Amino acid sequence: MAIEFRKGALVIDEMRNVSIKIGEIVEEEEEWAPMGPTPFPQIETLRDWDFTLLKRYKPFYAPYCDMCCLCTMGKCDLTENKRGACGINLEAQTARIVDIAVAIGTACHTGHARHMLHDIEHVTGKKLEEIPVDLGPEIAEVAPLTQLITGIKPKTLADLERALTYVEEQIVQVMDAIHTGQEGSYLDFESKAFHLGMMDALGKEIADIAQICAFNLPKGESNQPLIELGMGVLDRNKAIVLVIGHHAPPAFNIADYIERNKLSDEVELAGICCTAHDMTRYWPKAKIAGSLGRQLKVVRSGLADIIVIDEQCIRADILYHAGKLGIPVLCTNAKAMHALPDMTKKDPKEVIKYLLDGNPGAVVLDPLKVGEIAVEVARARRKKRGEIKPVLNEEQFMNYVKSCTQCGNCTIACPQKIRIGEAMKAAEKGNRKELEEKWDVCITCGRCEQVCPKKIPIIDVFNYAAWNRIINEKGKVRRGRGPVRDSEIRNVGAPIVLGTIPGIIAVVGCSNYPNGTKDAYTIVNEFASRNYIVVTTGCMAMDCGLYKDEEGKTVYEKYRDDFDGGCVTNLGSCVSNAHIHGAAIKVARIFAMRNIRANFEEIADYILNRVGACGVAWGAYSQKAASIATGVNRLGIPVVVGPHGSKYRRAFLGRPYNDEDWMVYDVRSGQKVRIEPAPQDLLVAAETIEEAIPLIAKLCFRPNDTDKGRAIKLTHYIDLSLKYLGRMPDDWHLYVRTETDLPLAKREELLKELEEKHGWKIDWSRKKIIEGPIRPYHAGFNPTCVERLFREGFSSVAKK
Amino acid sequence: MPKTIEQPFDAANIPGPKMAMLLEKGKPVAMALKKAKHPLLIVGPDITPAMIERVKKFAEKGITVVATGNAIGKLANSGINAKYAVLHELTQFLLDPNWKGFDGKGNYDVVLIMGTIYYHGSQMLAAIKNFAPHIRAISIDRYYHPNAAMSFGNLWRKEEDYLALLDEIVADL
Repeated sequence: MAIEFRKGALVIDEMRNVSIKIGEIVEEEEEWAPMGPTPFPQIETLRDWDFTLLKRYKPFYAPYCDMCCLCTMGKCDLTENKRGACGINLEAQTARIVDIAVAIGTACHTGHARHMLHDIEHVTGKKLEEIPVDLGPEIAEVAPLTQLITGIKPKTLADLERALTYVEEQIVQVMDAIHTGQEGSYLDFESKAFHLGMMDALGKEIADIAQICAFNLPKGESNQPLIELGMGVLDRNKAIVLVIGHHAPPAFNIADYIERNKLSDEVELAGICCTAHDMTRYWPKAKIAGSLGRQLKVVRSGLADIIVIDEQCIRADILYHAGKLGIPVLCTNAKAMHALPDMTKKDPKEVIKYLLDGNPGAVVLDPLKVGEIAVEVARARRKKRGEIKPVLNEEQFMNYVKSCTQCGNCTIACPQKIRIGEAMKAAEKGNRKELEEKWDVCITCGRCEQVCPKKIPIIDVFNYAAWNRIINEKGKVRRGRGPVRDSEIRNVGAPIVLGTIPGIIAVVGCSNYPNGTKDAYTIVNEFASRNYIVVTTGCMAMDCGLYKDEEGKTVYEKYRDDFDGGCVTNLGSCVSNAHIHGAAIKVARIFAMRNIRANFEEIADYILNRVGACGVAWGAYSQKAASIATGVNRLGIPVVVGPHGSKYRRAFLGRPYNDEDWMVYDVRSGQKVRIEPAPQDLLVAAETIEEAIPLIAKLCFRPNDTDKGRAIKLTHYIDLSLKYLGRMPDDWHLYVRTETDLPLAKREELLKELEEKHGWKIDWSRKKIIEGPIRPYHAGFNPTCVERLFREGFSSVAKK
Repeated sequence: MPKTIEQPFDAANIPGPKMAMLLEKGKPVAMALKKAKHPLLIVGPDITPAMIERVKKFAEKGITVVATGNAIGKLANSGINAKYAVLHELTQFLLDPNWKGFDGKGNYDVVLIMGTIYYHGSQMLAAIKNFAPHIRAISIDRYYHPNAAMSFGNLWRKEEDYLALLDEIVADL
């Protein structure tokens, strides 16, 4: 306890004219593990680790814009890496823009976390220190990121708030460095992006643990209920409340209101994006209408009686689209108020009347008032409206498709380059299949409508053509279960590190897919069927549940939801991504007994060299996706994005032919060793799904794989390449260290190819490789990229 | 500023003051290939059978062909002995003057590109334009690519015209 004494006489027995102020009581941190070297790291603290990564994974810049227009000395033309008026060149400027994007994403998750803590106190009436961080008996490592980064092992939400305050300061410090006239090197901009990415991960963990503990969301239990998913699962006979966004307390209040008033037979609560995930974690009767890519499809289909928005990933023109159909919009978060009147202090009945009077919407920032307003407006509107039908009728549809002049403006505006005019022409001739198929590829950005000279409501035309698909879109998703249990890590830690579980595939992110939602299903099904651990979050977690196999089962019905090989586990919303980082950290803590307390560099080095995990964000679109990817990258986990992902401007791509980039220290032998390119990239965009799937398998190789594990991983890499690309991969031999790395069933055939095609020497009498591999295999190989760890050793918490 | 440009196939894809010179003939491409010491043709997945026929002719003229995305299967089925690469990774290698190329003879000086997913290909061309002074990138795709040094125009609805341009290049090699 610290007591601050200020000026004045202190007379203990007669305390006069003395003011004693007791500020925050700082309890001594429980010595749950020895304090590591980097508690609360600042911008510069982990720079050496960043530079280690950046040397191997050289930043690749593909500028989206060759100019800078951030200050009044500009615009500056930076084409061909010229320097602008402030001295910055294009590669540093591109890295700077990446920093800005990552900062936006990080601020979003962190702001969400702060808002969550405020709402928790308001909604529950409890102080943060009164709410324990308790994730049940199977989770002792409650907050792996908080523990790893800050050194705090939180006991209550007040401890999480300390970590959150730190995150907020770091965002400010990095944004300061982005100002003109500060940082000048692309490498340091990237180090700052990594720092922000790490803060993003921490912000997400705080947000999710806080809501789990305060609102009693699932605490990592398996066998979660199946949630109804898709536009077709909404009961059109009921009043439909549609929530959109990421901050669920207002939606919780809607669920409470429906339950309290026994209205679930009359009112449907459905959501889009992460609020949908989180409200089903609170109230599993809620439904998920779809992912972000479905947003305008749902809004413009007229399914909703009221739209309730909170924060993030909401259409900036939500009022315009909702207004076309007279659907009122209730804004519940100060981050998205759309110039509507703030009626927070009004009586809910007054707000209900205001919205039913035909006004476009209102702001109500008190989550405790949202339920009554949303539900009663929806019920009243439901009574007035008839059956929900397509917005267009047959005659209108035909008139619109006939009015298309084939000008091509829509295709040039379309991010997916859909030949909309051709599909219209086919529809005019009676073939609507093209429009129906492209309905799914369309991400409903609405740009086509902006440029159509005939003002064709193209979204409505798509929805009309695909109406049967819409009303029959009925999938399932497991309720997001939150963290991975320590007991699960105990089971899978060794197989992951040894490589016998071939990898952890984290299917995450948004729905800006290059070719529709089915790719999400294909990826999840392919890897789960091959005994990879598949975890899902966010929009991809939804989209993969839209499809069924021959037996009519979704991936969530087909596979168990444990954190284990051959399982598909939905962890939850975007902020639940933190549990993926958490699982990797817990492998180091629980399996390898590494000290994770304030020890980021060592644990990231451990994960990079040993934990075969790969993120897949096939439809990444947002700045949050940029910060998420950058955060897992700093932790040593590679990410594959779809082709739209190259618009993030920066990737981390290794050059496997550069020996010096692939040197590690082997603690066992005391030598520097050239390793195979494992993993080859940290952030890479694949062009098509057929390319992505073998690439994902390749990025699960780790230098520490045992020969048995390597053989399994190599089997999948080769097999997937043959299946999706029709050929052996060109670089498979780089991952062979010894003959026992080769898949047993193909060993002789592959040895022959190594000899004939790659010039390796084989002793055929013993079927052994004599010469050829980048390095020999040794079971005790103990790699680290960090010279300090090589010299000083690893930090263990194993009992001696 | 280039003398002649066109609207990019992605309407807002205006990268800056330097945009590709619009090619209305195949001859300048043929000239560039003839002068090139080490040319490379990158072929992505957005290709038609008629385009593959032309790719075969480029390969027959001795130009190294590399397929990206899922184009490799389509080319292999047509008997084209193409290399395969992930376009993102390949472009990183192209930026490195010390890369030895597919044949060990060094990096490439002229890179032709066609059939890539448009927006992704555009980003790769932006990287080459700004950070690979040793490479001249030419788009012979059906779309105007502003980040190339030279590019065909938007011919996605004029297939005959487009194929004629490809034939013109091959005929001149």
